[in-house]
Amino acid sequence: MATAGLFDKEEEIIAAAESRLANGGFRIAEERRAYADLLDAYQRLFRTTRRLMRLSDRNERELNALAEQQREAAEQIARKNRELETLSKKLAKYLSPQVYQSIFAGQREVKLASTRKKLTVFFSDIADFTEATEKMEPEDLTQLLNQYLAEMSRVALEYGATIDKYIGDAIMIFFGDPETRGTREDAAACVKMAIAMQRRLGELAAMWRHSGIEAPLRCRIGIHTGYCTVGNFGSDDRMDYTIIGTTVNLAARLQEQAPPGGILLSYETYAQVKDEVCCEAAGTSNIRGLPYPVSVYRAVDLYRHLGTETRTLTADLTHLSLSMDPHAMSADERHQAFDLLNEALQRLARA
Amino acid sequence: MENIRIKATNRSPAVSFDFARHHLRIKGESYPEDVLAFYGPILASLDAYLVSLRSGRCRCDLALVYFNSGSAKALMLLLEKLDEAAARGAAIEIYWYYDEKDDTMKELGEEFGEDLRHAAFHMEVMQR
Repeated sequence: MATAGLFDKEEEIIAAAESRLANGGFRIAEERRAYADLLDAYQRLFRTTRRLMRLSDRNERELNALAEQQREAAEQIARKNRELETLSKKLAKYLSPQVYQSIFAGQREVKLASTRKKLTVFFSDIADFTEATEKMEPEDLTQLLNQYLAEMSRVALEYGATIDKYIGDAIMIFFGDPETRGTREDAAACVKMAIAMQRRLGELAAMWRHSGIEAPLRCRIGIHTGYCTVGNFGSDDRMDYTIIGTTVNLAARLQEQAPPGGILLSYETYAQVKDEVCCEAAGTSNIRGLPYPVSVYRAVDLYRHLGTETRTLTADLTHLSLSMDPHAMSADERHQAFDLLNEALQRLARA
Repeated sequence: MENIRIKATNRSPAVSFDFARHHLRIKGESYPEDVLAFYGPILASLDAYLVSLRSGRCRCDLALVYFNSGSAKALMLLLEKLDEAAARGAAIEIYWYYDEKDDTMKELGEEFGEDLRHAAFHMEVMQR
């Protein structure tokens, strides 16, 4: 701010006082000295006032410039944030929502690291997909595959699954990381999801038939519960959040052996879900890569869908223990159970 | 007499008054919340030092990039005290450091210098 003219009056007073000092007119020397001291102090104060005013104006200019810089910086940050938000939304589609959330909430570090965890692993694959779709145009095939994967993913996310990856028409999913509700609950959620997927696939089959796919698409599903190594694998520049280990291979082999439209469980998964899910024993199976045969079960449906007849009959009295699942029994076993229960009834009658 | 050594904060300058070596230094930005609380003890120590200095030599470096009105008044008081000591016979050298792009700081230094009647006043461009 220019100060010219602002201090005219003060400058006039100083000029008049200096003139008076120069022209004499003081009868007593002491009065002249006092007058000169007063003028000196007034001049000093006058200079101080002008300096402070200039300093204050300069500081105000700087503050205004800083405020403007801050406003521009805030605008730039807001714009960058919007860009990053859009970008992260796009990138999020390449990740499972739980993984995305845990990275963005700062709970998960993006570095090469892994841990051992008990997970339930799911594999699915469309039976004879190539044959079923060989007459389709590539565009229709792409649309069909995307619709299938979208529908299955929607079901998966409803049940809290971590979608690991899509491999063509195959889907790899696991439960238990990054979030877990406990081994039993994770296994149950996985099997329930598989049942819901098969059901949804049945609904979609009718729709697809109209699109020219003669044979309905049927899905093979394999599920196994066991310890896996879960974490980020790859390099510092490109990493995949995934799982590795025998558990993963076993789930994949079960899927290969599952009948079209069927869900095969390992004994480990069956043991976790048998109270809620009606399963049939499917014998033992030699799994490639494993030195021992594996007990296999076919998941039929949830008991609550089937009614009480199919539920395992259990009793735990002081002098009676019973756990009976007629649907899981072979014919021989059913005969033996029948004889045993008959004898039990006779003994009860005689007691 | 005990030296003064105050570290700079985001609101107050670094103060180093090394009385034994007769070197006083104030550097940084100065807009403390309470100017009197910050500069009061410094000026009081300076008074005591200047009485003991008599006809000795003393150098004072002022290297400020920003100060508020209250700090400006405190600096003027400090310069007055140094000038009065010079009037009593001390050899006082005052160095005013300014940023070469900061005309206001340069002009203020020049004006501060004009007020001094006895102390030697020098203007120096601040080394970045």
